[in-house]
Amino acid sequence: MKARRDVYQAIADPTRRAIINMIANEPHNVNSIAEKFDMTRQAISLHIKILTDCGLIAIQQRGRDRYCEAHLEQLSEVAVWVEQYKQHFERKLDSLENYLEKLKKERHGKPKK
Amino acid sequence: MENQKSSTENKGLFLKRTLNAPIDLVWEAWTQPEHIANWWGPNGFTNTISKMDMRTGGEWNLVMHGPDGTDYDNKCVFREVVQNKKIVYEHINWPKFLATVEFDAQGEQTQMTWKMEFESEEEFIQVVKKHGAEEGQKQNVVKLDAYLQNMKH
Repeated sequence: MKARRDVYQAIADPTRRAIINMIANEPHNVNSIAEKFDMTRQAISLHIKILTDCGLIAIQQRGRDRYCEAHLEQLSEVAVWVEQYKQHFERKLDSLENYLEKLKKERHGKPKK
Repeated sequence: MENQKSSTENKGLFLKRTLNAPIDLVWEAWTQPEHIANWWGPNGFTNTISKMDMRTGGEWNLVMHGPDGTDYDNKCVFREVVQNKKIVYEHINWPKFLATVEFDAQGEQTQMTWKMEFESEEEFIQVVKKHGAEEGQKQNVVKLDAYLQNMKH
């Protein structure tokens, strides 16, 4: 197993995100990926290498073509952090709900069922 | 998978909640500093609101005081305020984001949505990562606290 790059680094770049989106549903060969972008083939190869190094894509040799396949399990690490951040705001809403109940009680005696 | 997609492709958060209170009360809780101070900020935090000028261009300064004594400065500017309908504010210190809160009166209940949009996906990922690290650290503090409490007894 290769030294793992930071998955955040991998997806922090718009071209790399576009590559991931492109191959998320079906594998594409390296040439067809490179054609979609307005940059050199070397630049695309480097992006693909970074994505491969961090395990987000795997390369398969099919005849003369090299196909990139998405392995998105790694992204769940990011999803976990996003979820945790979202919970931070959900807790605010919990707190708002509790506070609204308190206000209702203060103003109307008993809360409505 | 869909969930992961939406959370990593967007540059922000979207929350939706049906609150069991009529719009007038919800609006009051959102717009009066003495009320917002009572529910804003995570558990164990207190809040000081030095300014809350709820009109377009008006400033909103809120400091959250953490249980460990750390202060968290929040500086915002209101971009749009429509009574009982909508509050748009821009968080102007780090992390910068634009928040849109919309209310929909549904009899004795109010549905609210809360959208937070960061400047870019890169920025959002940074914020999420930093928050995660801080959260992890906080949990360590809580654990240490509990441990010390146990030692006392």
